[in-house]
Amino acid sequence: MSTTRPLVRPEVSTGRRPLRRSGRRSSRRSPLRQLGKGVLVALLLVFTLFPVYWMLNSSLDAQAGHTSSFWPAEPTLDHYVFVLTEGGFGTFLRNSLLVALGTVLISSALALLASVAVARFRFRMRTQILMLVLIVQMVPLEALVIPLFVQVRDLQLLETLTGLIVVYVALALPFGIWMLRGFVAAVPVELEEAAYLDGASWGRMFWSVLLPLVAPGLVATSIFSFITAWNEFIFAMTMLGGATENYTVAIGLRSFFGVHSNDWGAIMAASTIITVPVMIFFILVQRRLASGLTAGAVKE
Amino acid sequence: MTETLPRLGRARAALVRPWLLLAPALAVLAVLLLWPLVRVFLFSLQDYGLREITTGEPNWIGTANYAEILASPELWTVVLPNTVGFAVLSVAGTVAFGTGVAVLLASLGTFWRTVTSSAIMAAWAMPAVTGTYVWVWIFDADRGVFNDVLMGLGLLDDPTNWFTNRWTFYAIVLLNVIHHGFPFVAVTVLAGLLGVPKEMLEAAEMDGAGSFRRFFSIVVPQLRQVFAVVIILSTIWDFKVFAQVYLMPGGAGSNRSVLNLGVWSYVESFGQNRYGFGSAIAVLLTLLLLVVTAVYVRTVLAEEER
Repeated sequence: MSTTRPLVRPEVSTGRRPLRRSGRRSSRRSPLRQLGKGVLVALLLVFTLFPVYWMLNSSLDAQAGHTSSFWPAEPTLDHYVFVLTEGGFGTFLRNSLLVALGTVLISSALALLASVAVARFRFRMRTQILMLVLIVQMVPLEALVIPLFVQVRDLQLLETLTGLIVVYVALALPFGIWMLRGFVAAVPVELEEAAYLDGASWGRMFWSVLLPLVAPGLVATSIFSFITAWNEFIFAMTMLGGATENYTVAIGLRSFFGVHSNDWGAIMAASTIITVPVMIFFILVQRRLASGLTAGAVKE
Repeated sequence: MTETLPRLGRARAALVRPWLLLAPALAVLAVLLLWPLVRVFLFSLQDYGLREITTGEPNWIGTANYAEILASPELWTVVLPNTVGFAVLSVAGTVAFGTGVAVLLASLGTFWRTVTSSAIMAAWAMPAVTGTYVWVWIFDADRGVFNDVLMGLGLLDDPTNWFTNRWTFYAIVLLNVIHHGFPFVAVTVLAGLLGVPKEMLEAAEMDGAGSFRRFFSIVVPQLRQVFAVVIILSTIWDFKVFAQVYLMPGGAGSNRSVLNLGVWSYVESFGQNRYGFGSAIAVLLTLLLLVVTAVYVRTVLAEEER
């Protein structure tokens, strides 16, 4: 992160008491300490995973909503079958996929072009534009629901998937630019210059030098915008209104809430269907996610 | 970064090209973020209802919406305390817990670190909507596992509805938001921790500094930047928490004692068709966050200049 900050204060590095060192080393591996650590890890795992477990448990239990049991009292897949057939969740899944993929394609393309401009060129107003991107990223988008509703209404895109994609591209774009900027800046300029020396045009260099090197960053921002679109709730609820056939998964869930009682088995089965793909994504990309976050957001 | 323009012929292209590259993104940002930002302010100065939406004609009333909000006792006794109090507690909780988890992760071996961080990823990946429903189900009055366990242990005689009371309602929101928010803090701080030079920690240990001392006098100053980003982003997210409140029983406006700024703005607009009044609330929320944003921009740009 910083190269200028003084790393070690002089009095720290003198090593005055070498004898203490071995003592501390062994205490770090003492059984008591290991036990304490084990207990902490166990508590953390329980807190972290209990809601996930409870969701799965209820989704697989025919008795969900009648008796609560810590494992499926009457194991069944009926909730999933109901949700995907009569529940109409298949349509919601298709809508969500369309919206998410549309958002990923458009926002990644726009973000990549813009990030090349701010990372590779020095031009007037560059700092101002970076600042602008940062500020719009910080604007509470929930505060823009009202004008965006009116805007999308004026475009006659209310209750359509296209209208939703348009809004989500705007939501995903600032973060995408900010994050890709770090990845583009990390590509050595010498590689580009070598391409020019070989007689490549700027477009050629972009496709065959820059794009392959920025690909990991594109994967990261694509996953981010996919998940933004997949999970988003407030705009979907507002823009889609009563057009049930266009509902995304996040608002489709509400159709399993009844006036008098809620079908918890179905709600948890549908929640599992929504959550599992995202979870698999996260676990697969966790290492990249951490480095991407620090590269893009913290700029290490 | 150095300029990539070795030849004269590229000089003009270099002037135009960045703007060509930026144009599509800037157009989207202008139409879908900047103009709405101006518009929400314009709406807030109007009695903007269904009629105004349909005809598109303005109906200026000056600052009457703001006067009504600021004079409303509900703002001072319910909405603002809920918003600010919740944000303070959840930021403190998320950052402290996330940092603790990061320190724990850093001290684990490869196997347990992989197991634990995969579990953390699972919590992170849980969408706010489904996560909220799961917590609602856990604390459900009639059939929720929380009540069942408490009654089984004899700590509770009758099923309790935890969603009607303002404090227990927000305690559940807090649990939900910390569960959903701590992974970001843990992962970011862990990345920072692993970057702290080992020699420094070992040198301090040789000097006899205990683990608390090492953490607060070496690690924390090294990670100042990381903590700044994590705290400010959490503040922004927790101030405008919406789905986690709106989707709880009574959270969508029927229980007015649990309203926060975001939900209040939404139910006034889309529930009562008072889009102007709702916009004024949204502007106040934005101004509140602008202060936090200013700090964030300064921190990040300061780092940029180095």
